[in-house]
Amino acid sequence: MTVTSQTPSAAVRAAAEGWRRASSSRARRTALAGWLFVLPGFAVYGLVMLYPAVQTVLLSLQDWTIVPGQESPWVGLANYAEALQDPVFLRSLVNAAAYTAFTVPLQVVIGLFLAVLLDGYLPGRVLFRVLFYLPVVSSWVVVSLLFRYIFASDDSLANSVVVNLLHLSGSNVAWFQQRWTAMLAIALLGTWKGIGWSMLIFLAALTAVPVELKEAAALDGAGAVRRFRYVSLPAIRSALSVVFILLFIGGFNVFISVQLMTGGGPSNATQVPLTYMYQQAFDFLDFSYGSAVSFILTGTVLALSALQYWWTRRREAL
Amino acid sequence: MKHWKAGTAALAVTIPLALAGCSGAGGTDESPAASSSDASAGLSGTVTYWHAYSEDSQEVATLEDVIIPAFEKANPGVTVDAVTVPYDELHQKLITAAAGEQLPDLVRADIGWVPELANLGVLEPLSTSMSDFQDYAEQVYPGALATNLWKGTYYGLPLDTNTRVMMYNADALAKAGVEVPTTIDELVADAPTLKAAGSYAFADNGASGWNVLPWIWSYGGSITDDDVTVASGHINSDASVAAVQMLVDMYQAGYIPSIIVGDSGGLATSDGLVSGDYATILDGPWMFPIYQSQYPDFELNTAQMPAGDGGSISVVGGEDIVMTSTSQNKEAAMAFLRYLLSEDAQLAMAKTGQMPVLSSLTDQLTAINDYFGPFVEQLATAKPRPVTPAWNEINTILQDQIQSAMRGDVSVKDALDSVATQADALLAQYS
Amino acid sequence: MRRTPRDRLLLALRYLFLGACAVVMVYPFAYMVSTSLKSRTYVLSDPTRLWPDEPTLDNYRQVLTAEHFPRYALNSALVAVASTMLIVLLSSMMAYAFSRLRFPGRRVLFALIVVGLTIPTMMLIIPQFLLARDLHLLNSLPGLVPFYVGTALAFNTFLLSGFFEQIPRELDEAMMIDGAGAWRRYWNLAMPLAKPALGTVVIFSFLGTWDEYAWAVTVLNDTDKRTLPIAIALFQGQHSTSWGLVFAASIIALVPVIAIYLTFQRYFVAGLTTGAVKS
Repeated sequence: MTVTSQTPSAAVRAAAEGWRRASSSRARRTALAGWLFVLPGFAVYGLVMLYPAVQTVLLSLQDWTIVPGQESPWVGLANYAEALQDPVFLRSLVNAAAYTAFTVPLQVVIGLFLAVLLDGYLPGRVLFRVLFYLPVVSSWVVVSLLFRYIFASDDSLANSVVVNLLHLSGSNVAWFQQRWTAMLAIALLGTWKGIGWSMLIFLAALTAVPVELKEAAALDGAGAVRRFRYVSLPAIRSALSVVFILLFIGGFNVFISVQLMTGGGPSNATQVPLTYMYQQAFDFLDFSYGSAVSFILTGTVLALSALQYWWTRRREAL
Repeated sequence: MKHWKAGTAALAVTIPLALAGCSGAGGTDESPAASSSDASAGLSGTVTYWHAYSEDSQEVATLEDVIIPAFEKANPGVTVDAVTVPYDELHQKLITAAAGEQLPDLVRADIGWVPELANLGVLEPLSTSMSDFQDYAEQVYPGALATNLWKGTYYGLPLDTNTRVMMYNADALAKAGVEVPTTIDELVADAPTLKAAGSYAFADNGASGWNVLPWIWSYGGSITDDDVTVASGHINSDASVAAVQMLVDMYQAGYIPSIIVGDSGGLATSDGLVSGDYATILDGPWMFPIYQSQYPDFELNTAQMPAGDGGSISVVGGEDIVMTSTSQNKEAAMAFLRYLLSEDAQLAMAKTGQMPVLSSLTDQLTAINDYFGPFVEQLATAKPRPVTPAWNEINTILQDQIQSAMRGDVSVKDALDSVATQADALLAQYS
Repeated sequence: MRRTPRDRLLLALRYLFLGACAVVMVYPFAYMVSTSLKSRTYVLSDPTRLWPDEPTLDNYRQVLTAEHFPRYALNSALVAVASTMLIVLLSSMMAYAFSRLRFPGRRVLFALIVVGLTIPTMMLIIPQFLLARDLHLLNSLPGLVPFYVGTALAFNTFLLSGFFEQIPRELDEAMMIDGAGAWRRYWNLAMPLAKPALGTVVIFSFLGTWDEYAWAVTVLNDTDKRTLPIAIALFQGQHSTSWGLVFAASIIALVPVIAIYLTFQRYFVAGLTTGAVKS
């Protein structure tokens, strides 16, 4: 009955409506699918990470006494204010920034270079892939000990290079006694242990480059550099920015190597935010201050990575 | 206050003893308090015990195969669940468990943790709740017992103890033609001769309390008052300043190697002593098994801490046994605690290299491990580090300031004045 | 293919360079192996002398015959395998949704994932411990899994979403026109195409959960529930460590990690994309 009462223009409108409804129902289905895809993972993530993180934020606003039943007075932003005036904490931020500035570019460049070399056909490439990955899987305890030997104050490997090979110094250097030489040793360890990690991600990314494209470029007489620049690089741009951001965050969160090599010493010279946080929280039992320190770090890193993310990906939609 | 407590403890001791005498006649509740192994009818349940004994030595094996079976045999209803925790993580695990009210019944705690845990309120005050506490307190070395005292109450008992004595390389001394130094003055006087012969007079791997307190105390200095309420006038007293000045002068003259200022790339004290680079070091009894296996040809010699105006005074190390206030099975836990302090258990652990705390065993120690001798002698005068929850922080400040003075950034007097001011503020938080 | 002298020279240079890099990268590992072959060593010796005077497999025998050692390895393996599987599934689903499905709240949720990347987990340990207590997940091996998965999701979701974005949108749209739903596009298109990236996630997740120590040592108490890293840490004493044992145990612990790596790096075969598109 409704059909008979319809005018032609009404029929057109209904058809258009149907289309809209179909596409909007498809959009709804997609939205629903999106939620369903995210839900299980995000539930675990929210419970295990975000919920404790919120609690830790609350701790940082109190003078927390650890044991239940004792009063923990609210102190507002006092812990944050204290941290921002704490010379040791500020120095630790500078140390972490220097560590990041040193290690990230090296890991990206060397990791990418090795990945490109091991991407194409090369007899024995699996062996090399394993060898370059070994530092990643070696235990931190072991490699930290080893690097302490390499940078020992007497006639160590590092000193023979600096004194006899490069003539940078007339006498042996006590690497761990000064801030920047100690940070250099720590940064070299970080770089060495991280190269295989970025290499692996780049290797995975390079598989997205169609072989035909590389071969065609090679037939055109394009040199290796040009082939990389115009064929491989565009394909791994996204992976590049992912690695960059992950390494950047990891650099500011450097912890185990510093803890094992210098413990932040001598006299807090090589303190980084997380070793300082650990000392405040677990040695001095000042969890509130430790939390404030770690959230200032988180805020700083987040702001800087957001900036980077926006910068490197501004041409692409998320 | 103290008298009152001692009085009740003494009183409490007599009651269970009387009950033990007639335990056949239905001494039900009280009998567990009647100490050690035999009068333990009615005890049951599980006692959880966290410790960081070394898995690789005989320590864990002795605990699990000798001590616990013996205790369980004497107390058939009780099971002891011993949990080995890696030493580096035990403190973190304890703090986390305290926050979650998941602490075990008993903990073998580093002596430095007791005031901290007591201050958190998670420890059972043994001097009030353990009826025969005073008995045990009288049997153990006073220096080790003192590490359990927090605000007038004892929260634990010592379980094992140790101290640092001087270890020397006899060849290095002979090469320089010097005698084994018995006083600090002799060591200082010998330093140039030793340097000429290619050895550092003394080496240590830091400037924390564990490292520098023997020198400060032996000079007649101190770090806080006896009640651990104030540091000013103690850590920056003339004697303390003179002691640290001596170390600073020795370092700056090249008689002490740079590992003392935190050069973690330097030669370790244990290696340097063997090679003769270091003529003397200060270290604990655990070095003997290490040297035996690592450098079997090296003859490790010991002497007492060199004496100064204050005598020859070293620093007490070791572990205490504490009970948690959340323990659900305090009676059984108390029984096991008592057993750990029995002569049987203490002697069994002594064989693994753990120095007993019972003064009654002193004479037997050298028969078990002859290297215990000099440590026992040194322990007679050794002092504990200040017993306060603030010690970790004060210790860090102390090390930083002394190292700054060694590097020449600040005078010793100014450095120690700064320690005193900061330590006063920290101590005030806990008074 | 014809090889010109220039090609041969380039190939030789390539090997030379790779070989030089390999020496630098492998040296510490060689040192680790050599120490593991020394009899009881508490003090590490000169790392420039790599081959021990009297090599012995004593440390390996001692580690392998240590009480419960196989049990600890099995514990670690079970936890690592279960966690890795869940991490791969959940993070790839999230990454797919973030990079391919439009839904309200997408940006906010993704931002929260990025926040999770920057939070140091050490600082969360006490709140996490309280949570585990309330969920009755303390002192339990299966109880480790949700915490391992939850802490690894941010990293892997972030990593994978970068890779999913690289998959040409045209493929997605073509399947959509054929009427394929989101799950089919994810499972039949995105997952096979992202195999190399998934391989990376497997390799990293397995390594991370197999090696995890700080959380395990905090929540596990019972001897028979220990994971391998705890067992290895227990070879380190308060005053002295038998490094030979620690290194031997560490090397044994590397075997499954390398095996997983060897298995999954095979997905890194250039040209996968084109093959998949054709089929």
